[in-house]
Amino acid sequence: MFEVNDLYVRVGEAEIIKGLTLAVPAGETHAIMGPNGSGKSTLAYALAGRGGYEVTAGAARLDGADLLALTPEARAAKGLFLSFQYPVEIPGLSAIAFLKAALNAQRKARGLEPMPAPALLKLMREKAQALNINEDMLKRPLNVGFSGGEKKRFEALQMAVLQPRFAILDETDSGLDIDALKLVAENVNALRSPARGMLVITHYQRLLDYIKPDRVHVLARGQIVKSGGPELALELEREGYDKYLRAA
Amino acid sequence: MNGLAKRLSARDTSVQSRALGDALFSHLLPTRRAEGWRWSDIQSALNDINQRVRVPREEEWSESAEAAVAHSARAGNVIAALAAGTADGWYSSWGPPFSNTSNPMFDQLGEVGSVGGRELEANEELVVVQHLKPEGGLAAHCYDFVVGPGARLTRVLLQSGDGVALVSGRVIVREFGQLRQFVLAEGAKLARIETHVEIEGEGAEVELHGVYFCDAGRHADLTSVVTHKAANGKTKQLIKGVARKGGRGVFQGKIVVERGARKTDARQYHHGMLLEEGAEIFAKPELMIHADDVACAHGNTAGGLDESALFYLRSRGLAEAEARALLIEAFLLEAVPEWLPAAVRDEVEARIGAWLRS
Repeated sequence: MFEVNDLYVRVGEAEIIKGLTLAVPAGETHAIMGPNGSGKSTLAYALAGRGGYEVTAGAARLDGADLLALTPEARAAKGLFLSFQYPVEIPGLSAIAFLKAALNAQRKARGLEPMPAPALLKLMREKAQALNINEDMLKRPLNVGFSGGEKKRFEALQMAVLQPRFAILDETDSGLDIDALKLVAENVNALRSPARGMLVITHYQRLLDYIKPDRVHVLARGQIVKSGGPELALELEREGYDKYLRAA
Repeated sequence: MNGLAKRLSARDTSVQSRALGDALFSHLLPTRRAEGWRWSDIQSALNDINQRVRVPREEEWSESAEAAVAHSARAGNVIAALAAGTADGWYSSWGPPFSNTSNPMFDQLGEVGSVGGRELEANEELVVVQHLKPEGGLAAHCYDFVVGPGARLTRVLLQSGDGVALVSGRVIVREFGQLRQFVLAEGAKLARIETHVEIEGEGAEVELHGVYFCDAGRHADLTSVVTHKAANGKTKQLIKGVARKGGRGVFQGKIVVERGARKTDARQYHHGMLLEEGAEIFAKPELMIHADDVACAHGNTAGGLDESALFYLRSRGLAEAEARALLIEAFLLEAVPEWLPAAVRDEVEARIGAWLRS
C-alpha cells in the first residue's frame, strides 16, 4: 500500500503541492493526470526525495514505512522507483555498470549478498531483450546519445531489473513514438502484480490506452480535485482540464 | 624495471650535496609574477619543505645534461636548469630498441633529479611509463625526445608522493610522427608537469591527455605548450581534474599555430570539478593562431558535481558517497585514453578509485 496524506511541497518560495491525499493499494495502478504546471513532476520528485523539493507538511508511506524520513537511496531500498521524465546523461559511466551498482546497492541495503556476475548478466540480457535493448546500448555511457525512446526503454529496463514494490512513472510517454510506447507499456504491464503498485503520471490519455489504470486522479493546482475510474481519462481527453482549473 | 632506476638511486647522495646545497639564492627562482608561475608558487613551496635551492648556473650543469637539456635550460626553462644541475646521466640509448603497448618500458624517476631522452628513428615505436614519487624533497626531471618520421612515442607519467616534484618534457615531432601522452598527477606540496611540443613535420599527430586530483595541501599543475610549425598537424588535448578543500589544481595550456601550419586541427579541452568549498582550480587555456585554413576549438569549464545526476543515482539506491565517487570517477575516466597499456590503465583506474574512496 502506498499512501500520501495531506502533503504540502515547496520549491523555493512557491508552494506547489497543497494538501494532496492519495492511496494506491498493492496490486493497483493509478494514473495522475493534470495540465502543465499542476505539480505532477514536483509530486514525483518530492516522493523520491530530490533536494530542493521541500515537504512542509503531510506524510508519505510505502508499506507503512515513512518515506519522507528516508534518504533517496533508502527509499529505493524500500522499493520505491521513479521512472524519470528526463533521464540524466552520465558520460563515462556505462549503462550496465550503473545498473549493476544500483542493483547490488539495493541488495546490500536489504542485507543481501551482491548478485553473482553471471546471474546478473543473464538477468539483464533477458530483460533487455524484451525491451529491444541490445548489448551495445548497455555498454554505452548511461543515456548519452540515447534517443528519447531509448532513454525511456532503459528506464523500463531498470524497473524490470530492480523489481520495485512501487513505481512512479513520470511522463513515460513523452518522447516516445507509438511503437516504442507500445513496447514500454507492454513491459510495464508485465510488471503489474498483486504485490506491486504503480502511479502513472501523464498529461495525455494516450499512454492509458496501453497501461490501463484502475483509478484516475485529476491533479490541479497542487491537489487531487477529482478521482474516478478509467472513464475519467476519456472525459479529460474530450473536455480538457479547463473546468478543473476554474473549479480549483 | 630496467637499469636506469638503479643508476639513479646510486648517485642520489652525491647529487644532493653538489647541487641542492644550502646556498640561498632563491631570488633566481621564478616568483609568482613570472609568466607561467602565477598560480604555482615554487619559492614558498620550497620554503615549506625547507629546501634552499637556486637555479644552477650553466657552468654547473653536468656534462651529460649539456647535451640533453641545455636547449630547454637556456631557453629559460627552470625545471630543465634544475635538472641539469642535479642530474649526472644522459641516457641516449635509453630503452630497449623496441617497445609497444603490450610491452612498455617502465622507468622509476629518482628522488633528486635526472635528465634523459631519446631520439626515435623513422617508424620506431617507444612506449615509456614513468613513475615519479618523491618522498618530500625536491625532484627535478627533464626529458627531451625527438620523434622521427612516422615514429610513435607513447609517454605515460604517473606522479604521486610528497615534496616538490618538477618534470619538464620537450618533444619534437617530425613528419607523420605521433606523440601520445598521458599524465596522472596526484599533486604534492607542489607538482608541476610541463610539456613542450614542437611539431616540425607535416601530418604529425599529438595527443596530450591528463588527470589531476588534489587533496588538502596538495597542488598539481599541468602546463603545456604545443607549437604547430608544419601543415596538416593534429593536436587533441583533454585534461580533467578535481580538487577537494585546500587542494589546488592548475591547468595552463597553450597551442600556437604558426604561419604556414596550414590545415592544422587543434582541439583543447580542460574540465575541472571543485568538490568542496575551499577547493581551487585555475585554468589558462590559450590558442594563438597565425595561419589560415585551420580548425581549432577549445573549451574550459570549472564547476561542481551535477546535482541532478547525483539524485538520479541515489534514486536507484546508490548511497550518496558511492554515487559521488561513481560520478567523479566517470568524469575523470573520460580523460584516460583507450591506448594506455592495460596494466597501466588498471593502475590509473585503481589510483583514481582509491583516492575517491579515501
